[in-house]
Amino acid sequence: MSRPGFVLEVDDRTPPLVVHEGEGFRLEQFPLGTRVIYAPESLPGIDDVEAVITKALLEPEDSEPLPALLQPGMRLTIAFDDISLPLPPMRGPDVRQRIIEQVLTYAADAGVDDVELISANALHRRLTAAELKAIVGERVFRSFFPQGKLTNHDAEDRANLLHVGLTEDGEDVEINRRAAESDLLVYVNINLVAMDGGHKSVPIGLASYKSLRHHHNSKTMLRSHSFMDHEKSHLHHSAKRMGRMLADHLRIFTIETTLNNDVFPAPYDFLLKREWEWSLRDQATVLGARRALSVAPGKLRHKVFQGLRAPYGVTGVHAGETEAVHAKTLANVHRQQRVDVEGQSDVLVLGVPYLGPYNVNSVMNPILATCMGLGYFFNSYRGSPVVRRGGAVILYHPVEPVFSQLHHPSYVDFFEEVLAESTDPAVIEAKYEEAYATDPWYVHLYRTSHAYHGVHPFYMWYWAAHAMDHVGDVVWVGADRSAVQRMGFRAASTLADALEMVSGTVGRSPSISYLHNPPHLLADVHA
Amino acid sequence: MNNLVRGGVDDVRLVARGWRWGRRPLVPRSAEPYVPVKEQTVFPTAWSRRPAARAVREVVQTAGLAPLFRSQVRPHVEGLDVLDRVEPPVLFVANHASHLDTPLLLCSLPTPWRRTTAVAAAADYFFDTWWRAVGSALAFNTFPIERRGGALSATPGDLLREGWSLVVFPEGTRSSDGWVGTFRGGAARLATEYGVPVVPVVHRGTFAAMPRGQGWPSPGRKPVTVRFGEPLRARDDETASEFGVRIRAAVATLLDEDATTWWEARCRIANETTPDPAGPRVAQWRRVWAQSQSPMSTTRPRAWHPLR
Repeated sequence: MSRPGFVLEVDDRTPPLVVHEGEGFRLEQFPLGTRVIYAPESLPGIDDVEAVITKALLEPEDSEPLPALLQPGMRLTIAFDDISLPLPPMRGPDVRQRIIEQVLTYAADAGVDDVELISANALHRRLTAAELKAIVGERVFRSFFPQGKLTNHDAEDRANLLHVGLTEDGEDVEINRRAAESDLLVYVNINLVAMDGGHKSVPIGLASYKSLRHHHNSKTMLRSHSFMDHEKSHLHHSAKRMGRMLADHLRIFTIETTLNNDVFPAPYDFLLKREWEWSLRDQATVLGARRALSVAPGKLRHKVFQGLRAPYGVTGVHAGETEAVHAKTLANVHRQQRVDVEGQSDVLVLGVPYLGPYNVNSVMNPILATCMGLGYFFNSYRGSPVVRRGGAVILYHPVEPVFSQLHHPSYVDFFEEVLAESTDPAVIEAKYEEAYATDPWYVHLYRTSHAYHGVHPFYMWYWAAHAMDHVGDVVWVGADRSAVQRMGFRAASTLADALEMVSGTVGRSPSISYLHNPPHLLADVHA
Repeated sequence: MNNLVRGGVDDVRLVARGWRWGRRPLVPRSAEPYVPVKEQTVFPTAWSRRPAARAVREVVQTAGLAPLFRSQVRPHVEGLDVLDRVEPPVLFVANHASHLDTPLLLCSLPTPWRRTTAVAAAADYFFDTWWRAVGSALAFNTFPIERRGGALSATPGDLLREGWSLVVFPEGTRSSDGWVGTFRGGAARLATEYGVPVVPVVHRGTFAAMPRGQGWPSPGRKPVTVRFGEPLRARDDETASEFGVRIRAAVATLLDEDATTWWEARCRIANETTPDPAGPRVAQWRRVWAQSQSPMSTTRPRAWHPLR
């Protein structure tokens, strides 16, 4: 039986607590009275995943069974979430592979010849062949990739985009032509957090910049309170309008999966335990790991962290009509991640780990660290933010000004050029976004190399817009001073220093909440 | 290299302090409702009463424990003559205010009695880890009992049948202020069920010498006393709960006797004015204050008054 999440109040019995900071972690002794929000323990995974997938495909929600939708001569497209999910990547076999193999088995039995698979990477970087293979498995990869039937979505390939129409709010709906013109589009998702899935899958994962700009903008992000709460997220409202419109034009069969919180494999599983329950072995592992990380060269450290594969258990598979499926999926996500929190705090403390959706097999640069902390983690709430309006956020991360020229070329210019001018999301959107989005060199790298789209760093900055608007102070502990200054923040050496620095905003004895994340959690804050 | 070593030392210190190395780990108060319930398993202790373990225990107790104990506190034993009037097995039922109580009682017993006496110890405290369980079973001949509503393990009855005398602390835990708490019914039930006599035993001064929360006796060889009382037997028409009341009254009288004299304690029984062993209903600090006073002068009694 998994224990529920809860809020710890630090007292004299509380040992130092783990705080993630990039490719490492520290043990932090928090001030007495600090609230620490712990995620529920990992739920037990389903034993017979294949059987649950079969059941979902044969007894879908508000839809005919999948085999009844498959006919000879039809065009079948299978789209799936890209490498940004889950985090960390899943230990094989990937649940997407297991689902796709079953879907293809039914398709083969039904005599469907015209099948294509598309990685729904929107404006994310193209996946390498090895990365595609890790997701779909060797059998699927061998059957489709050499024939060019397993591809990355290309949001800049005008010939392969179809403008389906406008929503009632005048939003362009333009998605991958192959998907839009299929007789059946099967979408296979991994719903890691409450933000994922539902109508966010097809209308966003397979969209073009023209379509994405309607919800990926500073105004929408600012009004999404939070984007982990699909009922209050303007991003999701927009996606829903687009999704419903698409559903009128296209038969979509959505398959959504949820995972438990087993995000760290042994011997790093001590990071999933509550610290006071660490065994002597766990304590020895912590001491050993910290010493090893302190002497390991950066490249080795990077390799170790990026090589982590999570032993996730599958907690649910649902298939059928998108909204009916997503309601069940969200219930599963909430069951695993939701924690009740009473009231807001003056200060929110966040430890930003080594990995976010956009640096899998890559580097977490300052923009991505900001997006991870002030975007995803800050928004991990329902109801009210964990920190009060005008409060302070303290983050832990080295924030080294290091960029991957392969994956994030436009980030370098965004950091050096745009942020030097302004850090206001609305200002930089108005002044610079268009130029970056249409820059031919960035478009070329996006289409032919493995670069994120030129506009992607803007979107990362918009993710953090709500947090930057809501709080009065942002301080990074252990960060590169010049890098955080460039982004309009401040750096501190220790938590004590950071609290001293924000005392002008929140006073000398502020209430503090620390979001103990990862593993993933969703704070349900009752203000 | 220096940073590596210094960082390692700092980390070890941090972890040692945070996780209380060498001491019992504590759970933050707000996390206590979420501590998983441990499966109740009876730790096997039969091995600790076999000849080899008994031989080891004899060495540990006589060559290690007793000298060490006497080097740290000044024990004073009274009433051992009652053991001449009773045949083992018996139940030694004592008040409990300190971890010193068990070694004090065991080290006070005549050797034949000590060798055939086992001690009931809380399963959740002394048997929570294998090394603590093995250590206490080997050194003190302890056996686990459940004190949190679990079924009483079959071991005490088996031991009595095999002829072992048992030490039972019916309060179930050490007193938090040195005064006697509520007696649970387990000891009285055992005595009535197995028809064994109960020898009441009282300790005084152990709370002052080493109260709850202290890991070693206070310096200065504080005096501690242990007094054995007249054996009690349950009457044929007496229920376990009635017998339990009588046991507690005997402990109260014995404490009174130890604090004053046998005669005064007898008079107070006749007047029904025996002091309540639970202590006066006063502020908690006053209760602790009273018990933190050692039972007699810390200086050795002199045969002659010093010249004035």
